Amino acid sequence: MNETPDTPVLSFENVYYAYHTKGGETLAVRSLDFSLREGEFMAVIGPSGCGKTTVLSLAAGLLSPFAGEIAVRGRPVRESAGKFGYMLQKDELFPWRTIRKNIVLPLEVGKKNTEANREKALSLAKKYGLGDFLSYYPDQLSGGMRQRAALIRTLAPDPEILLLDEPFSALDYQTRLTVCNDVYGIIRGEKKTALLVTHDISEAISLADRILVLSRRPATAVALHEIGFEAMTPLERRESPCFSAWFEKLWKELNI
Amino acid sequence: MKNEQISAGHAAFLRREKKNAAVIRAARAGVLLLLLGIWELAAATEIVDPFIISSPSRVAATVAELWKNGSLLYHVGTTLWETLAGFAIAVSLGSLIALTLWWSERARKIFEPYIVVINSLPKIALGPVIIVWFGSGSAAIVFMTVLVGIIVAVMNMLGGFLATDKNKITLLRSMGASKLQILTKLVIPSALPQFIGMLKVCVGMAWIGSIMGEYIASKAGLGYLIVYGGQVFRLDLVMAATLILCVLAAGMYALVALAEKLLIRSPK
Repeated sequence: MNETPDTPVLSFENVYYAYHTKGGETLAVRSLDFSLREGEFMAVIGPSGCGKTTVLSLAAGLLSPFAGEIAVRGRPVRESAGKFGYMLQKDELFPWRTIRKNIVLPLEVGKKNTEANREKALSLAKKYGLGDFLSYYPDQLSGGMRQRAALIRTLAPDPEILLLDEPFSALDYQTRLTVCNDVYGIIRGEKKTALLVTHDISEAISLADRILVLSRRPATAVALHEIGFEAMTPLERRESPCFSAWFEKLWKELNI
Repeated sequence: MKNEQISAGHAAFLRREKKNAAVIRAARAGVLLLLLGIWELAAATEIVDPFIISSPSRVAATVAELWKNGSLLYHVGTTLWETLAGFAIAVSLGSLIALTLWWSERARKIFEPYIVVINSLPKIALGPVIIVWFGSGSAAIVFMTVLVGIIVAVMNMLGGFLATDKNKITLLRSMGASKLQILTKLVIPSALPQFIGMLKVCVGMAWIGSIMGEYIASKAGLGYLIVYGGQVFRLDLVMAATLILCVLAAGMYALVALAEKLLIRSPK
């Protein structure tokens, strides 16, 4: 498929995936279709254990579907190495590396560890409040700062698509609200396309432009909604009168 | 985030910590002196026959005698060399085997039962075979030391490598890391505490191996002195060699502990 102006950044077309164990085969994803537009923030929600993380692993090319097609700008996902930045539930900073060395880790791995790329990555860290902490070790920072450092590390190789796997779930509620706001600001500021999976409906409404609702396992698309809060920050969205209406609608669709 | 100004409360806390550490050090020395005192007294008053238990003063005299006739450094040097050589080979070869087994799951599954059997085998059973293969010199003793330490090194390091955080491996894979990059950037650095732990265990194993080796085949060394002292009923010599062994083993352990301090950052 050739790229046209309408070609989505990421697309799932009729994707199936199954886990195999000695106990048998478990269908985790069934006939999943969705696409991600340039610069948009999409959230994927679904009942616990429905296969949200599997969807993200498929998008990152860490797992291969047994049927269907996953494409990045029209090209198969397996040919798209280096286009993704993956952020996990915990910050996963390496404790023996300073924040500076953690941030440049993807550059070392991707063999892009040039002076210019390092400078660019470290300037991001400075821009988003980590400039004074570059020589610190992860255990010397608060949970919120560690998560910010993890996001800067994800952004360091300048990925086209950010894949966020419940990146705030390990934080306490207050820190989660603040970090959520920070992360939203950084992703918008850097004009990145992002795919977030979360079990938290409020988090999805407060961050996303569109929300994809998945069914119980095997995961398939139940609904896709345009939220229409683009100009508002996550904290502002939470105060909006429409917020609770969206929450109720999505809660019903989850059918937990 | 270090606070240069220390409050009165914090200064008191630091003083208490310092005092506690000094008390523990003094108590440790006290226990040693007490044991030596009881031992000396028991021998001097002949509550227990000094021929059987020797005494600290007789042990000191024996060490001085060995020093004077020039054999102390010879025997200590022999055992130390055999122990260090066996230790170094066991640790490096063991780590290398563990790396190979981490790299290949299939190899791990094939060799697992062999490792379990070799680990359970009393190495002393191989004594006659070792003498036939290597003679009764240092080579046989180094081999025995390697034999005793290597499986411990393999099992410890393999455990450390396999305990690498799966999420961190996923993170590196998402960055496009190769298996070699996962090994060098994550698996080896995260197994460093395990490596130090393995060194500590292998220190003890190396001394067990070298002394066991000297028991079965040697013409010099502390193990030889112990066997010789036992055969001619010179318990002073047995006790002296044993105490020297204690000091050397403690010194080697202290060096590993120092390496741990230098290599591993303690959390703030």
